[in-house]
Amino acid sequence: MRRILLLRGAELVVFAFLATIPLLVVNPYALGLLTLLAIYGILLIGLDVTVGYLGQVNLGHVAFLGLGAYAAGLAVTRFGLGMVPALAAAMIVGLVLGALLALPALRLEGPQFALATLSFAALSTTALNELEGLTGGAQGLSLVRPALFGHTLTPPIFYWLCMALLALVWMVMRNLLSSQWGRAFEALRDSPIATDAMGVGTYYHKVAAFSLGSGLGGLAGGLYAFNFQYLQPQSFVYELMIILLLGVVLGGRKSLWGAFVGATVVVLLPNLLSNSLLFHIFSGTGFAVALAAGLRGLAKKSTRPFQALAPVVAMGILAVGGFFVENTEDWRKGIFALMLFSVVVGLPEGLMGFLALFLAKLFRVPPAPLPAPSDLDAVLPPRTQGDAPLLVLADLKRHFGGVKAVDGLSMQVRAGTIHGLIGPNGSGKSTVVNVISGLYTPTSGSVSLRGSELPQGSLNRVARAGVARTFQNLQLFSELTAIENVMVALKGVYRMPLPLVLLGFARAEERRAQADALALLDLIGLKEQARAKAKDLTYGAQRFLEIARALARRPDLLILDEPAAGLAHPDVVQQIEIIKRVHARGVTIILIEHHMDVVSELCDRVTVLDGGKVIAEGAPDEVKRHPKVIEAYLGQASQSGPGDAEPQPA
Amino acid sequence: MNALIIGQMAVSGALMGLVYALIAYGFQLTYATSKSINFGQGELVMVSAFFCLTLTNLGLPYWLMVPGGLLFGALMGLIIERAGVRLALEQKSEGWILLSIIMGLFLFSAAENIWGRDDRPFPTPISADPIRVFGVDVTRLELSVAVGVFAIMGLIELFKRRTLLGKAFEAVSADRDAAELMGISATRTVMLSYALSGAVAALAGILVSPITTVGPTMASALILKAFSVAVVAGLDSGFGVVLIGMALGALESLASFYLGSGWREAPGLTLLILALAVRPTGVFGKAVIRKV
Repeated sequence: MRRILLLRGAELVVFAFLATIPLLVVNPYALGLLTLLAIYGILLIGLDVTVGYLGQVNLGHVAFLGLGAYAAGLAVTRFGLGMVPALAAAMIVGLVLGALLALPALRLEGPQFALATLSFAALSTTALNELEGLTGGAQGLSLVRPALFGHTLTPPIFYWLCMALLALVWMVMRNLLSSQWGRAFEALRDSPIATDAMGVGTYYHKVAAFSLGSGLGGLAGGLYAFNFQYLQPQSFVYELMIILLLGVVLGGRKSLWGAFVGATVVVLLPNLLSNSLLFHIFSGTGFAVALAAGLRGLAKKSTRPFQALAPVVAMGILAVGGFFVENTEDWRKGIFALMLFSVVVGLPEGLMGFLALFLAKLFRVPPAPLPAPSDLDAVLPPRTQGDAPLLVLADLKRHFGGVKAVDGLSMQVRAGTIHGLIGPNGSGKSTVVNVISGLYTPTSGSVSLRGSELPQGSLNRVARAGVARTFQNLQLFSELTAIENVMVALKGVYRMPLPLVLLGFARAEERRAQADALALLDLIGLKEQARAKAKDLTYGAQRFLEIARALARRPDLLILDEPAAGLAHPDVVQQIEIIKRVHARGVTIILIEHHMDVVSELCDRVTVLDGGKVIAEGAPDEVKRHPKVIEAYLGQASQSGPGDAEPQPA
Repeated sequence: MNALIIGQMAVSGALMGLVYALIAYGFQLTYATSKSINFGQGELVMVSAFFCLTLTNLGLPYWLMVPGGLLFGALMGLIIERAGVRLALEQKSEGWILLSIIMGLFLFSAAENIWGRDDRPFPTPISADPIRVFGVDVTRLELSVAVGVFAIMGLIELFKRRTLLGKAFEAVSADRDAAELMGISATRTVMLSYALSGAVAALAGILVSPITTVGPTMASALILKAFSVAVVAGLDSGFGVVLIGMALGALESLASFYLGSGWREAPGLTLLILALAVRPTGVFGKAVIRKV
């Protein structure tokens, strides 16, 4: 309660304060700045979706601002539309073009994504410049702010309109980002493969996120057009993009407050640069902060020397340089660069990331309490299955060029069993798992679950068909907490359509999801650490968490890819215990494992692979004595009793 | 007649395209060792060109100015690696994208203030008189671009194949971890690749400046097209960039002829987005098998 009061209270106070300013101060310049603050606030919240939540460097956001501005401007000048339809048009242009760009660009990661968005931005500037018949080209486009419902918009009223829209965007985005959608965005930043494997469509969510962010860019563009009432393609170029990135990064990623703080900085920057006294104070403060933080970091050894020193050097150049440069305006870009550099290196969480920690400590804001765990029987109903074959692989092949990783594999996994899949390194176990789970498309052959063919070559569709898996090299959503990792994957909880989620009707679902996820965490013994970030868990706990996450899919078939790999002995014991508990609930399991003792203890049946083919199959003890198996693991069959030869992890 | 004009446009475009190819080759060098590229490479090209202009104005002869410029470029490459890339690589994050953009922005601002915002001519002893080959005019200047591009690419490739250091470079490119286990310092190799990449950028500046003049914005269009070439060919495509660079150069020269000069950048950018959509690893790049 206290938490809600503090957080919502702060938002309310700030917005109420901002709304009353025009009543108190009658200064057109200040009002202009505040209007711009609201517009940039919306713009940066949109940019934060890609930069913060998707974790991609987006260099195309400024293009959506420009396109939205021109869309609104043209709607008014060419088609005589009113304020509301013009703003709607601006937003739709952002949404649609964002989706169109996202379709090809979002298959890309990192540098390729940055390049694609950069090219898009350059291309749209070219188009705005060259389509002179429509946009007026470099001459610019003048427009008159239309009336809203018959009322002429004086500067204060227009300011209130912008603020109201910012507040609306704020609320809607808070609802969205704290729902399954926001979690999915973050999940696919941390591990796209696991996001797909958990049945949460990576591509779909990425396109949605990017399109949404761009839509907000378009909306901000519409307001921008009505604010300045004059547009020029040259306003929407690379330099502004850098400033926007500075805003998001400096304010703090993944935070509405961060976007707001960033917008404030962006709006105030030009004023800061035009007054040399202000600039000296500002750069001096920056230098002092960097120095203090750097020394503290060095003393506590919490940061690397470079991370502590580089911001000090950059801010030092800024502070000292300020005295040698006649006109700081000329060095505008260089100043942005130095500030941005210091923030990216020294304060990667941004101002709000830093402040949030500090304020949370100061006011002792408790995290929202978690609900009581659901009954496990409701989350993962125990089922008894017949002995029928659940998964059937028929003559499955997967070749990589000349390498026949899987070469004509046929096997059956019976329902309700733990089926071991073993073999020496390079025998094709992982490839089999990757083919079943849809990461690889088989070269030939078929995989069927309960008699119906599994989709091929799509992790997401296979996951939706009822197969869940874990990963040999952990693929957790490292920035999310343990409970969020499980919540992302939960199946059958999130039913609320998007518009209702935006309006904040998903809270009940959210509680239910938390309760269900807690029940699964309890099953693996991590209930107490539900709020720890996945990356901060011990290695063993991370392995367990992968299982809980896969169970959230309520799978018919669970594939465990070396769940005991790298675990210390006590953890191995616990892992065996967990797998037994899962199995007791009637989940069919395929277990790939090197630890022979784990296999012997857990598996009902074992298939041994070598060179992509089955060399033996049977109960664990039978298989261990099989001469071909011994040969595969140890080379030539030896003179000593075959019973002694236990395959060891290679 | 029309065919001749098209031929003329295509040939001078393609020669210009070699500059894009050269800058793209600079991306490949660093991408090979560290899977990162310098987003401020365009500014590096520009600053190096300005530096060389200053050297020339100080009275240094052309053939001494060139190595001076290359050294400067290499040094700048090293600075960018140290300040912008290394930390991000150590943290396995993609912070280098933003950091290299930032450093480029700083270089841009510095150049604006040190050398001014105007475009300036770049003196060169190579004449601009045209030579007629099969009815198409080619200037010595344009030919010098081709010679310079092939010379430095050839030298670097020879270096990689024939010297021990070059083989270390190849080893880190092939498998960073394995190379480290063999006693090769990956950090040093990444530094080397950034130095080479910086030198390549400097050479691109020296070669292109007599044709385009020198100014703070000289590389902003250039770099977009170099990005296109690098991505369309594939960031690990080797000499693929040469083919794609020449093709793109010819294409854009034709586009500006038929659509108007404002659309000059359009084919490269469209091509880049399309290539990324259809074949993210590039025309000549190797497809990677995802492993988990």
